[in-house]
Amino acid sequence: MGIEGVLEKGFVTTSLDTVINYTRTGSLWPMTFGLACCAVEMMHVALSRYDLDRFGAGAFRPSPRQSDLMIVAGTLCNKMGPALRKVYDQMAEPRYVISMGSCANGGGYYHYSYSVVRGCDRIIPVDIYVPGCPPTAEALLYGVIQLQKKINRTNTIAR
Amino acid sequence: MSLDLNFLSTNLKETLGAYIVSLNQAQGELTMVARASEMLDVFKRLQSNEHFYFDQLTDVCGVDYSAYGSEISESGMYLSDEVTENLFKHRFAAVYHLLSVKNNVRLRVKVFAEDDAAPRLNSVVGIWPSANWFERETFDMFGIVFLGHPDLRRILTDYGFVGNPFRKDFPLSGHVEMHYDPEQKRVVYKPVTVEPREITPRTIREENYSRH
Repeated sequence: MGIEGVLEKGFVTTSLDTVINYTRTGSLWPMTFGLACCAVEMMHVALSRYDLDRFGAGAFRPSPRQSDLMIVAGTLCNKMGPALRKVYDQMAEPRYVISMGSCANGGGYYHYSYSVVRGCDRIIPVDIYVPGCPPTAEALLYGVIQLQKKINRTNTIAR
Repeated sequence: MSLDLNFLSTNLKETLGAYIVSLNQAQGELTMVARASEMLDVFKRLQSNEHFYFDQLTDVCGVDYSAYGSEISESGMYLSDEVTENLFKHRFAAVYHLLSVKNNVRLRVKVFAEDDAAPRLNSVVGIWPSANWFERETFDMFGIVFLGHPDLRRILTDYGFVGNPFRKDFPLSGHVEMHYDPEQKRVVYKPVTVEPREITPRTIREENYSRH
């Protein structure tokens, strides 16, 4: 009846989850949160040699309200802690966090310092940890791909 | 052409004379110690006198001499009661690095704060405006108060930070650490949980180190 016309034009079937996950992984909007030397590697990953845009995550935004991926790139100091949380709270859901480098993962070199947060997961929930000091651009790229795989695994629209 | 240090040294002795507590030339650098009560006079002369013309202040920093020259303790901590011998009369000093562009020469001036419990020095912001943030940093890290400073606030540590991190009796890991409290929905401080862990450096020093 109704689908006769459609049959002539051609169609594909899929599940809603797959479509949603496809669109989410294909348009990650990272937020610029460079705190230290890791930020330089984060810049490399966005530029022409590694080209994060190939993976649909190349549009770095200066505002948390326009982005859904936060790459914490560098040493998180106590003074920055409240600001990081505030910015994270302003991000629209669904939101993801990549902790980049030793300092963001667990304090790293500054673990015993009086002024550094011992891992940004004390302030915000983290999806992917990228090790290294600083991680190479490839490593961060690999982290982004891992995050996309993680997003692909979700099969509910629950927030 | 740069000014000869011996020439500068002689000039300093002639012009400042009684103001100079000590004058030491080592490693091609000239270090002068001045008294806290006369420091502003000394600095004004150093800046305006045509023989010196130190028109730039390149750095101000603090020094905590409470453990200077003593053996490093087992735990690697410098605690003031572990100090065997005090080489200096006062605990805190501020170190000023001056540059004369005209004469192409540098001078280091050290001023000891008289009161160890509440170290106070005069601010040199009125002479060199660049001292502003340097003095704030020294105040932040060592707790040296600079009298006459226009805006003496902490500059580097967190808002509401307690203590002076560069003092020898301040533990490396501090007293508090930061985490997010889901109930209060904000970032809060709690007492520090990491074990103090300081690596004692193996130092080989020449015989007369720090004893001049």
